[in-house]
Amino acid sequence: MSLLVFAGASQFAMVQLFSNQAPTAIVVASVLFINLRHLLMATSLRGQLRRLPVVGRLVAGFFLSDESFAMATGYFRRGGRGLAYYFTFAISLYVLWNLATLAGMVIGSAIGDPRRLGIDFAITATFTGIVVLAIRHRSDVVVAIVAALLAGGLALAGAPTLAVIAAGALAPVIAVVTRR
Amino acid sequence: MIWLAIAGAATVTFLIRSMPLVVTMRGRLPAAASRYLDALPVAIIAALVGPAVVAPAGALTHGAEPLAAALVIATVGLRRSLLAGVIVGVVAVALLRFI
Repeated sequence: MSLLVFAGASQFAMVQLFSNQAPTAIVVASVLFINLRHLLMATSLRGQLRRLPVVGRLVAGFFLSDESFAMATGYFRRGGRGLAYYFTFAISLYVLWNLATLAGMVIGSAIGDPRRLGIDFAITATFTGIVVLAIRHRSDVVVAIVAALLAGGLALAGAPTLAVIAAGALAPVIAVVTRR
Repeated sequence: MIWLAIAGAATVTFLIRSMPLVVTMRGRLPAAASRYLDALPVAIIAALVGPAVVAPAGALTHGAEPLAAALVIATVGLRRSLLAGVIVGVVAVALLRFI
């Protein structure tokens, strides 16, 4: 499953749904909803990936993930131009993710709770840092704060999937309205 | 049935990620649209961060994550180093959760 559906949150949701014997349509619809945020991410990467041929863009799309999107955005915002960075990172992540999935299948139960060591926060810290480095205008600061608070609030209210899509899509409107 | 669901999930995931890259539009974008797209990456990444800071594991934070995130922002803002920020963040959150 991990080789075909390279999408962390959806894979966890699918395992949960399978164990509840959910109908196929429900499983597919849930995955569609969880991954809707990548529609935004792919839209945002359009400008950089436009120079690739169609096959290259399809390959880029298959390997798109939150992490590769964030790292590539950080790279492009720092003035990077090449696409090798994106592909190297995205494909390495794919390989590591699947190796780690295999390792988890074999020795998973021996590890215990990763929260204890703060390792789970590494991704959050990385993304936070990328946001800081990606800020170019004063309006970006407002957009970032509003997006984070709106998404956090929606997640607390019990809609973590909707949170990312809604906050990600709505917050940039601030930049449209305020920047003249 | 499980394999059918996996095939369906793989298909929708792939379509969502690749459609915006493949579908082409003619003409130039209006200024408002390019301002929107310009702010979009920051908004998406911040929206990914928000829930992990405010509601880690789905419940209201006890304060460790927001404090650690503030330290990450300060570190990256001052040092312009992502790695330094991540190290500070991970160490801070581990200590703060321990207290």
